[in-house]
Amino acid sequence: MKLKLSYIYEVAFFAALILFQVLLLNRISLFGIATPVFYVYFLLKLTAGRNLHYVIISAFLMGLIIDIFLNTPGMNATAITVVAAFRKNISSFFFEKIGYDDFVPGMNTAAGPFVRFTCLMVFLHLTLLFFIESFTLFNLKNTLLRIAVSSAVTIPLIIATDSLMFRGKSGEQ
Amino acid sequence: MRNLFNFIIRNSHWLLATLLVTFGFYLVFTHNSYQRSVYFTSANHVTGWFYSLSRNVTSFFHLRKNNRLLLERNAELEGMILALREQIASLAAADSADVNIFVGDSLSQPQFGFIPAEVVNLNFSGVNNFITINKGALHGIKSDMGVISAGGGVVGVISVVSPKFSLVIPIINSKFRLSARLKNSENYGSISWDGASIGEVQLQELPKHEDFHAGDTVLTSFSRIFPRNLIIGFVSTEGHSKDDNFNTFNVRPATDFYMLQDVLVIDDAYYGEQKQLEETLHQ
Repeated sequence: MKLKLSYIYEVAFFAALILFQVLLLNRISLFGIATPVFYVYFLLKLTAGRNLHYVIISAFLMGLIIDIFLNTPGMNATAITVVAAFRKNISSFFFEKIGYDDFVPGMNTAAGPFVRFTCLMVFLHLTLLFFIESFTLFNLKNTLLRIAVSSAVTIPLIIATDSLMFRGKSGEQ
Repeated sequence: MRNLFNFIIRNSHWLLATLLVTFGFYLVFTHNSYQRSVYFTSANHVTGWFYSLSRNVTSFFHLRKNNRLLLERNAELEGMILALREQIASLAAADSADVNIFVGDSLSQPQFGFIPAEVVNLNFSGVNNFITINKGALHGIKSDMGVISAGGGVVGVISVVSPKFSLVIPIINSKFRLSARLKNSENYGSISWDGASIGEVQLQELPKHEDFHAGDTVLTSFSRIFPRNLIIGFVSTEGHSKDDNFNTFNVRPATDFYMLQDVLVIDDAYYGEQKQLEETLHQ
């Protein structure tokens, strides 16, 4: 299970996710309500035993940079920081604790738990994000619909990407 | 005491998360009345530059289509000039005094000037949509100027201006209001957006007896920001009305926000004077 992301690789991954989100995904507005929020993928792919301070701070920075580009100061940052703080609790809920610290969640390592893990993380993030965004309670029904449809777009996107990117590496275990 | 320290060290990540979340909420509450956030937005130097770079690449692929649109628009204007020339010529033959209405006073300046600008970023993912354009205070843009598309449809109003970039609040933003009327009527209502669909805005507060057909043109009415009779959009369906005395229509905007690239910012030479005059009442 030595599929650990090196630090340089991780920084490149961080930047690539931000670019992908800002330049491409945020221009997509499916049915005028749903936007894929892909950058949560960063939190999913960190090793399970990664230092929590590191996870929380990097998540906050990622949210903040995305906020600056989208003119939504604090919204993405707040939502993803909360998700990052609960990441360890959520992942220990889905994955077994054998060789836990170096374990990278993914479709190639544990498909079933990874899908469930992704669903919960994405749903939690989007719920926080859209409720922070619509603080005015402007159109509550619409907010719930946006959470549902955006989750339905984001989750398959993440799972498909993960299946493609890390395909065939499971043999190295 | 040692137990307390141990407890704090063991749970320090929660403390860190709480701190960051608090800071995040602080940002949400202080910066989201977007006017204050000039230096924390895409009108900012760095992010603005970045967006214009990526826009340069994409705009290249639209050149062909834009060229065609400009040619069409050009042809339309040529036609109008010809028609007006004929009209002036026929009136000149009749009475020279009437002609002076069209010629105007040579001392006065035209009321409206147009500053062309290019869209560098569009954000249509929430209820507070915005557009960033590549002209700012250095090019004479001020907040509260109107913005129309190259095709002549209403786009929105300038909200924040930095030296080289500006943010536009489009009609598809829940905070946008504009008075409007149907083409064949003098009664006016108010344009706003309910946040449901980017392809539809709402024309509210029109009197119930107002006659309408799907496809009717919606034009600007009294506005300090836009000239009269600019096209806002076309009536699509009758909407849900809060009040029995008034009608609400769904209006399809004349501007295609997904394709928006070139815009014109309206520089109203009389804006300052009118605003000053109207504000004397409130003093």
